Amino acid sequence: MARILTVDDSRSVRMIVVREIQALGYEFAEAEDGEKGLQKLTEGQYDLVILDVTMPVLDGPGMLAKMRERGDKTPVLMLTSESKRSIIAGIMKSGISDYILKPFKPEELQAKIQKALHVSTPVSAAAADDAPVVSATASVAAAGGAAPAEGKVGVDILVIDDMENVQKRLRQMVPEHISIKGVLNAQTALSTCRDRVFRVILIDNDMPDVNSTSLMRQIRVLQPRTAILALYVRTHANVADQAKKAGFDGAILKPFDAQAVDDFIAQYFNAQELVVKDDNILKIAAFRGRENRMDSYFNDVTNTVTKISEDVAAACYAELIVDISEMPAASDRFVRLVLELKSRVSKMGLELRLVGSSAVASTLKNYSDTADVPLFHSIGEARAAA
Amino acid sequence: MEQIVTKRIADDKLVLPSMPAVAAKCLEMLRNPEVEPRAAANLIEKDPVLAAQLLRLANSALLGTREPITKVLGAVTRVGTMRLRQFILETTARKTFESKDHQINACLRKIWEHSVAVATLAGDVVALANAGDAETGYLAGLLHDIGKPIVASMLLEAEKTILGLKPSAGWIGSVEWLGVIHRTHRKIGIALSQKWGLGDSVCRAITDCEEYDSTERLCEANAVRFANAVAKQNGFYECDTNKDDNDALIMIGQSLLGLDPKRLPQLVGSAQRAVDNLKF
Repeated sequence: MARILTVDDSRSVRMIVVREIQALGYEFAEAEDGEKGLQKLTEGQYDLVILDVTMPVLDGPGMLAKMRERGDKTPVLMLTSESKRSIIAGIMKSGISDYILKPFKPEELQAKIQKALHVSTPVSAAAADDAPVVSATASVAAAGGAAPAEGKVGVDILVIDDMENVQKRLRQMVPEHISIKGVLNAQTALSTCRDRVFRVILIDNDMPDVNSTSLMRQIRVLQPRTAILALYVRTHANVADQAKKAGFDGAILKPFDAQAVDDFIAQYFNAQELVVKDDNILKIAAFRGRENRMDSYFNDVTNTVTKISEDVAAACYAELIVDISEMPAASDRFVRLVLELKSRVSKMGLELRLVGSSAVASTLKNYSDTADVPLFHSIGEARAAA
Repeated sequence: MEQIVTKRIADDKLVLPSMPAVAAKCLEMLRNPEVEPRAAANLIEKDPVLAAQLLRLANSALLGTREPITKVLGAVTRVGTMRLRQFILETTARKTFESKDHQINACLRKIWEHSVAVATLAGDVVALANAGDAETGYLAGLLHDIGKPIVASMLLEAEKTILGLKPSAGWIGSVEWLGVIHRTHRKIGIALSQKWGLGDSVCRAITDCEEYDSTERLCEANAVRFANAVAKQNGFYECDTNKDDNDALIMIGQSLLGLDPKRLPQLVGSAQRAVDNLKF
């Protein structure tokens, strides 16, 4: 376990630092000036020193210089209210890992401690915008990314349009499990984007008093992984090209058309929500949408399950349990999918166990190639099967 | 040379460029958030060059226009009043960075590139850190070195007066010449920002770009200071820089503004694109 020495003449600062060190599960020691800090370093081994600049007896730069003189290369994190460039530049020459300006946020201290100790950090609020945007209801694994950043609530769609009816109309047209938030002006949009992560953002191309492209660029800084689409009035052709040229990821025409919304949902949501993973158990979502999307649904399921199977195999599980009870079992594509999974999973050295209803069972029994695939009524049964 | 410049500043004998009348009136008008686009358009139509530049902006791919705009009113509506103010200041400032002397022009081009890089970075940093208004951050970044071209012109004029000749080849861009600019441009920039009514954030960014204001951590001027250091670190600068001091400014700025260092490459990429898009 890492040991951290905090050197600061303020008892209250040391208490705050110690609280954060303890929260990270590390050991700590305290010193109230540079001399006592050096003494602690001679008595024991430390992985990190958190050092104030201005202290009585021996200040931070003095202690740091003495450490380096005697060959002590322990990483040092400066924690100070000093922000004068020349002073910090001087201290940097003695070798510091990082710098925190007081007053500081606990998450900044924790992140910089972890960084100095070369510990990979969980996704923090500070780094939230690097995290892929996911729906509150979406499958984490299937999306191939991380959960929404701590402290930030994930929402699927943000609609930025000064006409309130736009978001209401879209709400009526997209499935209920997809969350939507609407804002009416640029200022609210920017502040909302600082607080929440979105998977897709739709920006009206004719916002009053603000240029939608400028707004899109500012939002891109806040949410670089989010798809941002322009909303155009249905009067001109080639809006998709124009939107792309301006830097949007695409365009949608207003008033909304059912087919266009369906395509939009398919492009940005369906694939990510088809499979929910829990260790070596995968649950396949039911098919929703028009019949002509059925092939695409089965393709997405096959590809997603195959990809996740690699993770399951890498984690040294012997079995892959796939709950297919909600899938449309009557389709030929269903049987082909089971065969495909059986073959791919077997190549990875995994045993495939399916969970499904009696309808699934009767479909699988109709074909010699699928009749032998182990099928269980519940996940519990599949788990318990030796 | 430096003494001449310093004396002119001390004697208050600076000849600062005036804001074109239409631009000045339009900026005054845009202070009112309820301004009618029609009124702004009527004013801009009185300056054909400004009107043409505005139409070019409104029809550019930058704004993702879907059909050609031919009327100034349409352009004002398309651009929006927030962006219009930025456009007028940017256009006016750009003129200050132009010189008939090709050597000065080449040097000012580099300063302008630095300004555009700092502006783009500052606008993004303000948005990211929630440090105020991103448009103001952009403008403050763009104008933080506005005093430099004025000093450059003064130097050229002073050299002509002293030598009675055209500037000697190789003099422009010399270390000494740039040194005079660096040591004197801030006072001139502040005087100009006051004359043009550029506002407190721009004035603060010009006044001191070397030290942060830790009493008001999240402000546009601090974003400009950080952006200036990042721009210098990434080569968007006309001179050599003190690496230690610059690295310290970046390290302090990250904590002061609460920025995640992982975001810097993305911000620098945006600045690079903005500089690449400049047409001279």
